[in-house]
Amino acid sequence: MENTSPASASSSRPLATPPRVARQDDTAALPTLIDVKGLDFYYGAKQALFDINIAIPDRRVTAFIGPSGCGKSTLLRCLNRMNDLIDGTAVKRGEIKIRDIDIYGPSVDPIELRKRVGMVFQKSNPFPKSIYENIIYGLRIQGVKSKTKLDEVVEKSLRGAALWDEVKDRLHESGLSLSGGQQQRLCIARTIAVAPEVILMDEPCSALDPIATAKVEELIHELKKQFTIIIVTHSMQQAARCSDRTAFFYMGKLIEFDETHNIFMNPKNPQTEAYVSGRFG
Amino acid sequence: MPPESTTTSVVESSPPSFRIQKERTQLLGLTLDECIQGFFGGNALVAVIILGLITFFLFREGSGFFSQNRDNLSIYRLAGLEYVDLGRQPDKDHAALSRYLSDLRRRTYQYYMEEEGLSAKEAGGRLADFDVYADRFARASAPIRSQLMEWGEIANDIKARHLGNQNLAEKRRQLLAAGKTKEAAAVGILPVNFAVEVSAITATLPAYEEATATLARSLEELILAPPPLPTVELTARMARFQTLTRDFIASFPATLESMKKWDASVPVPLSQSFTAFIFGRQWLTASFWQDWYGATPLIAGSMLVSLIALALAIPLGVGAAIYVNQLASPLEQRLIKPAIEFISAIPSVVLGFFGIAVLGEFLRVASGWSFFAWIPGFPFAERLNALTAGCLLGLIAVPTIFTLAEDAINNVPRAFKEASYALGASRLQTIIRIIVPASLSGIVSAILLGLGRVIGETMVVLLCAGNRIAIPDFTAGLGVVTQPVHTMTGIIAQEMGEVEPGGIHYRALFVVGLLLFFIALLINYFAQKIVRKYKVSIG
Amino acid sequence: MTAPFHRYTSRRGFQRRTESTIVWFFRFATYVILLCGVFIIGNICLKGLPAVTGAFRSLEQFPYVTNTFIFEAPESLYVFKHEGVKREMGDAEYRAFRETETARATAEGRPVPEFKASSYVYAAGGIWPCIVGTLLLVVGAMTIALLLGVASAIFLSEYARDGAFVRFIRLAILNLAGVPSIVFGLFGFAMFVLYFNWNVSLMAGWFTLAFMVLPVVITASEEALKAVPKGFREGSLALGATKWQTIRKNVLPYALPGILTSSILGIARVAGETAPIMFTAAYVVRDKLPWEVAKFSDFFFQGVMALPYHIYVVSSKIPQNAYTQRVQYGTAFVFLGLVALIAGSSILLRNKLRGRYQW
Repeated sequence: MENTSPASASSSRPLATPPRVARQDDTAALPTLIDVKGLDFYYGAKQALFDINIAIPDRRVTAFIGPSGCGKSTLLRCLNRMNDLIDGTAVKRGEIKIRDIDIYGPSVDPIELRKRVGMVFQKSNPFPKSIYENIIYGLRIQGVKSKTKLDEVVEKSLRGAALWDEVKDRLHESGLSLSGGQQQRLCIARTIAVAPEVILMDEPCSALDPIATAKVEELIHELKKQFTIIIVTHSMQQAARCSDRTAFFYMGKLIEFDETHNIFMNPKNPQTEAYVSGRFG
Repeated sequence: MPPESTTTSVVESSPPSFRIQKERTQLLGLTLDECIQGFFGGNALVAVIILGLITFFLFREGSGFFSQNRDNLSIYRLAGLEYVDLGRQPDKDHAALSRYLSDLRRRTYQYYMEEEGLSAKEAGGRLADFDVYADRFARASAPIRSQLMEWGEIANDIKARHLGNQNLAEKRRQLLAAGKTKEAAAVGILPVNFAVEVSAITATLPAYEEATATLARSLEELILAPPPLPTVELTARMARFQTLTRDFIASFPATLESMKKWDASVPVPLSQSFTAFIFGRQWLTASFWQDWYGATPLIAGSMLVSLIALALAIPLGVGAAIYVNQLASPLEQRLIKPAIEFISAIPSVVLGFFGIAVLGEFLRVASGWSFFAWIPGFPFAERLNALTAGCLLGLIAVPTIFTLAEDAINNVPRAFKEASYALGASRLQTIIRIIVPASLSGIVSAILLGLGRVIGETMVVLLCAGNRIAIPDFTAGLGVVTQPVHTMTGIIAQEMGEVEPGGIHYRALFVVGLLLFFIALLINYFAQKIVRKYKVSIG
Repeated sequence: MTAPFHRYTSRRGFQRRTESTIVWFFRFATYVILLCGVFIIGNICLKGLPAVTGAFRSLEQFPYVTNTFIFEAPESLYVFKHEGVKREMGDAEYRAFRETETARATAEGRPVPEFKASSYVYAAGGIWPCIVGTLLLVVGAMTIALLLGVASAIFLSEYARDGAFVRFIRLAILNLAGVPSIVFGLFGFAMFVLYFNWNVSLMAGWFTLAFMVLPVVITASEEALKAVPKGFREGSLALGATKWQTIRKNVLPYALPGILTSSILGIARVAGETAPIMFTAAYVVRDKLPWEVAKFSDFFFQGVMALPYHIYVVSSKIPQNAYTQRVQYGTAFVFLGLVALIAGSSILLRNKLRGRYQW
């Protein structure tokens, strides 16, 4: 954890948020950033999440695991209201608070929320623009025009996503010309360019080969110094490797949420034990 | 949107680094994004609005037709035209019998020339008796004809004066509207007293009755002594003629009865105006006697042409779809599909021109080949007829049917085909027993949409269908296809440019348009219904 | 081919014969269609081509060569015998010729020659006003249709959520597509020509044609928009873009080529239809070209000559003979060529784009 390169540690937060002090102290306290209470979520008439209560710590990696259709991705997409875009979805009960603000509250603008809670998707989706344009897309739509500022952000973000050295000579080539793993890291760079506080990752490595996966996982390690990361994954090894805390979901319910170590070594719930030991799912 | 106070308080309670509330620019209580969404939503309504406007304007222009047509029919009755037409029936029947006689003469003449090898002069000589007979027969109706002529003039005069009065009344109304009272008063209108005027006709019924009696007597005399004819077949025809004539004479009392019962004061109901349009057998405009707006000939013409087109297009279109999708080599597939799509891009007016310039003449010549002699109605003399138009419409329908049917066949899951092969079925068995049934509803819907395309097509029928407004004679069997017809689309295109807006003829054309519009909607509805069903069945 | 297991290779002859008969029927159907198409197009090209190729004429100044069939207005053709020579002349040439001949005869003291000419309307000159009119109609109608159609498609593909309202709109679009073109003509005549009092004019024709082609444009645009991957939208939204920013910057630019190519098919339809413009925009004959108007606003409210309507007129209103064949086939050929160019480019472009846009 200490082998961070100085560049990424100091420079991957491009926007002018006040630098956080006393980060080391947080580690012990684990302050809650996202607090989900009694959440019921519906796709039309079908209930997808049942009474979810979970407190996600600040600047840690939290992994959501569970068999397909267990609701882990749904919960993830609730956290930046991406579910709003799907017809017939609704939070019927409960609340999600980020820094004590109910993100489903009436005065919340989902657009502003998504600037603060970024997302990386399962299938890498760079826009068919140049690498440069991909990175500054988020700033462009916020109206940032200064060329120097944009150049600066591009470099910082790409460094932050450990992609700078690979692409610095071809920033104006299409983002689609990159390899799969590079594309995914480009998407991460694009996300951190708008300086979010939280990065949601929806199975970011499921379409990547093992080497690319290792690179992304390494990147997650780096990123958690500045960002709170929530990662949905199918791979228990990945959850074990890169998360601090793990939540196990089954049939739309949160079964167990604990230190990753505990979940894998000492699960309290028999269903969790069955799942992590590979007996079902 | 929540009240301002809540917003502020929430913002204050959160650390400054996590601001997710934002006041967006508002316009009439909507955010910019909502305004944009509203704009696009409004645009999406365009299709609905246009459909509504089309319906509205067709109704607006067509709605007045039925009341105008009732007036038209009322005048027909009031002015005694209807009465005269009743009296004309025997004359018309008599004329038909005369035609029968001249047909018989033609046959006999042909027999003399071809079988007995006589010269034209000799044959004419042999027919001298027959000619005298036919002439006497034809002249027998002279008395009723002159009576009818007299009546016709009176009735037409009454009608003309009534219509003149209507024009004057309209002129007066306009003058009054313009405030010219004096000029308006100067417009003198002599009202037509229908009852009195028509009695001039009905009063002479005894004379007409007398004339029919004379006709009956002379006909009875004539049928007793028919001229001898050379063959048994021709003699049998003559006997048939005698029976027909006796029937004709027997129909006189009924005719006279209906004329006596006729009453001008019976009002024409609006429903009759309606039925006269839908079931009317005549479309006759700008006539000096009486205008008729009966859509049956047009509907029948459209149907006939469409049937011919579909009879050609269904086997070709569906067959080609099966071939291209299931049997053709990849190279053929790559070439044929765009080629057929390209055919659909040929403008219909060009096809119509081709019909006039090439196809009509070609079909006429081809119909003379002995190879086709077995087909009833062949050979035919009219270059432009239902067949010419139908062939070209078939070519128009083919790409529609082909494309949609090919889509439907393509949508049959591969697994069906593979399962069938795995059970040992041949390629063709698979196609006929698995693929066609599975895509049948799609194919049917393709055919329906092809029909919609054909019925709505204008230029080809306008140019090539022959434009004769008459109900095709379906008794001719298959030969009916060689008759010239007129269609619903054709009549609109042909007559719309020449009518006076607001007049009955103008409105009649709009009612035909309305009919066409609803037929198209109906066809579309069924096609969609079938497609929806088919989507469910495939899963 | 040798087959080790003969039981598997043999099939009853009768069945095989039936099979091949039916396959041949399907093949026959396909090639009959193609042959019909080829024959029609071939016939028109063969007889129409000479009208165009035979009409080149050199000019004194730039551009030095012109095609009288394409770039001149239609004229009446006069066929007459003069001093034992059979001559064919266009209207203007004929008048001039008659005058000079009369003058010459008077000067020479001969009796004034008699001219007994048979005339054929439209059979001389060219079809320039029709080409211009058709192009104007197409450009105007497609502009209106694209503006309305793309906006409508954006709503349906990006904003609309499945519900009664959207189903209603889709139903309307489907039904609009099935409305016969002559009904559009009637509607345009009643609404634009009479009710709005625009008379027979470009405006009336534009709107009538635009409304007719709208379903094609909406369907094509929606398909193109749907072809843009969902990831582009999600990615953009997840970066905090608003819906409109997402559409404008990250959806429309990628859908635009698809929208335009598919809409070319709509152009072919607009150019090819006769029935809707018969009573709304087309004149049988008009001496002035569309830009020869007194004031600017008159431009929109003038009728024009159009190629499809001209074909209708020359094929139904004048006799078929050796003198009229030139204008009949020539117009059909030029028109077919124009439409083929449009449709062909659409098909080619689509195939090309299909290969390129794979996300």
